[in-house]
Amino acid sequence: MGGLVQQQDFDAQAPWLSALRNAGLQAFEKQGFPTARTEAWKYTKPRALNVDDYVLSVAGGKTEKEEIPFDCYSFYFNNGVFDGNVPELPDGVEVMSLAQAAQTDFAQDYLGQAADVADKPFAALNQYYLSSGVCVHILPFVQLDKPLLFINHTLAGETNLLMNLRNLIVVENGAQAELVEYFHYTGTVKSRYLTNIVNEVFLAPDSVLKHYKVQAEAFKAGHIALTAVNAEKNAFYKSLTLQTGADIARNETHVKLLSEQAGAEVDAAYQMNGWATIDTTTDIEHLAPCTHSEQLVKGVVGGEAKGVFQGKIHIAPHAVKTEGRQLHKALLLSDKAEVDAKPELEIFADDVKCSHGAASGELDEEQLFYMQSRGIGRETAKQILIDAYLEELIAKVEDENIRKWIKLKIKTDNL
Amino acid sequence: MATPLLEIENLHAGVCDKEIIKGFNLTINEGEVHAIMGPNGAGKSTLSNVLCGKAGYEVTAGSVRFKGKDLLRMSPEERAREGVFLCMQYPVEIPGVPTTAFLKHSVNAVRKHHNLLELDTMEFIKMVREEGKKLGIDGEMIKRPLNVGFSGGEKKRLETLQMSILKPALSILDEADSGLDIDALKVVAEGVNGLRDGQRSMLVITHYQRLLNYVVPDFVHVYADGRIVKSGTKELALELEEKGYAEFVREK
Ligand SMILES: Nc1ncnc2c1ncn2[C@@H]1O[C@H](COP(=O)(O)OP(=O)(O)O)[C@@H](O)[C@H]1O
Ligand SMILES: [Mg+2]
Repeated sequence: MGGLVQQQDFDAQAPWLSALRNAGLQAFEKQGFPTARTEAWKYTKPRALNVDDYVLSVAGGKTEKEEIPFDCYSFYFNNGVFDGNVPELPDGVEVMSLAQAAQTDFAQDYLGQAADVADKPFAALNQYYLSSGVCVHILPFVQLDKPLLFINHTLAGETNLLMNLRNLIVVENGAQAELVEYFHYTGTVKSRYLTNIVNEVFLAPDSVLKHYKVQAEAFKAGHIALTAVNAEKNAFYKSLTLQTGADIARNETHVKLLSEQAGAEVDAAYQMNGWATIDTTTDIEHLAPCTHSEQLVKGVVGGEAKGVFQGKIHIAPHAVKTEGRQLHKALLLSDKAEVDAKPELEIFADDVKCSHGAASGELDEEQLFYMQSRGIGRETAKQILIDAYLEELIAKVEDENIRKWIKLKIKTDNL
Repeated sequence: MATPLLEIENLHAGVCDKEIIKGFNLTINEGEVHAIMGPNGAGKSTLSNVLCGKAGYEVTAGSVRFKGKDLLRMSPEERAREGVFLCMQYPVEIPGVPTTAFLKHSVNAVRKHHNLLELDTMEFIKMVREEGKKLGIDGEMIKRPLNVGFSGGEKKRLETLQMSILKPALSILDEADSGLDIDALKVVAEGVNGLRDGQRSMLVITHYQRLLNYVVPDFVHVYADGRIVKSGTKELALELEEKGYAEFVREK
């Protein structure tokens, strides 16, 4: 372990919280950092992820408001530290900082209950730190009128920073909400940084969470995220993640469909160049009959970059009449670009519909020539085709303003 | 005094070491309409692709000048912006790209090249509507993804629409009549004729004489085995229709 884990003072904390943190530490110590031999990191070679090389970010910084082109309730994080400002919210929505929530029974009931850390070293570390974050509680039957926006701004500095963000979202019976996460940076990155996020989402019966995420970290950054979702009867989790930054990134979504009619739609897009590795890992567990899930992941990979998709669908023995579908597609823009897709179906029940597919291809020269022959520059033509390629996914975002915003975040340079 | 627009001299070109164009000569002056007629496999599409800079073709000898400039050194998009337009035999389908968005990119790329202000959406829509109307293209059609699911006739009408809004100095029509019924053919021909103003030039490439009843050429050339084997006026097209290409193909 060396000096990586700064000593934490547990004395002032509730025993359950100390226990949770210690469990995180133990889980981490048992696993250690992933190596190239670790099965879960076989395709995404773990490099520059040793947190010994980083300093835990605790200071945050001054919040600079962002121009966001859709109406929302904004929560600002600076260098991974929540600034503590909770905007005015409608009735039926309760939000606290993680530090405040840690004093409550509410947090005790949920924290650490969805995220399994036994085989996830970064989530284990995150559980040890429980550094900073936001806890959201949407009360029964509340339809939140505007999305919640969690926006993490990294101000590039001189030291290698490790950021641990930990959020908790509880959506009660019949309630509905939208969450948008946005990770970005400004400044010239002289050092590296590593963002390590764990979101735990609890969806009570008949509730819905729509979760959009844009990962636009600096190139010299690592981004490791786990969103763990527990979905009860007839609850629905829908997500779309766009990743365009970080030279090593894993966005992992782990959904447990715990009860009948629970469903999930987990979509992702990524676009990367340079020597980056962008990883989308999903684990959808169908643990009850008549549950359903759908995944569409599309990547655009240029330079010497690599796209990785590890998609697991697990169907428990009694989870009959379930449906699980998964499709990964990638567009390779150069000879050195690479994709690895590893679908994994664990089907223990009869009478289920389950499918997976993968396809990769290149930009169509005939289409490029057609556009060029009409005066459109080759680079613009490529971008038009890339946008069209990702459009299928972006079109799934129902809110027009969020959709437009995500579209703008698709990178247009260096392709 | 006639001003030359396109000057092709002793052009040799091919694909994968196979020579397809074998010493091709042709000069088109401003305002002239030339027809090139030839049997299948003569190298007609190869010629139009080489003129437009499609990748995969190798020019081994000869030169092509357009408005006095070396055309072969330009990228396909530069050729288009300079005023060379290829109305394709098989227009390409591009799923996910709305026809209007594509047209707007195209028009503004060409305008920008000529130091003209880019059209805003309103101006653009107005222009496309007006030109589209003449070709029987409605607003619904151009909202669809580019050429996707278009019938043969719709594709050719869209090619013609692009020609009418880009107003190229030289339009190359590669088998513009293939797959068209007579009504669609008339519509396309009308669009093409609308561009004839004594300034703009056309190179009409076709296997059949049919199109030339509607787009009447100033000159007709017979193209066989990679070169022009006979030139004449519009009467030559009728002669070919009657006798076929046998005479020329045998010559080789
Ligand atoms: N990409 C290619 N590779 C090999 N041969 C080709 C290719 N394109 C065309 N050809 C050949 O070149 C000749 C001329 O083709 P093309 O220009 O399409 O003729 P046309 O349009 O007059 O029917 C044909 O024999 C065709 O088979
Ligand atoms: Mg042809």
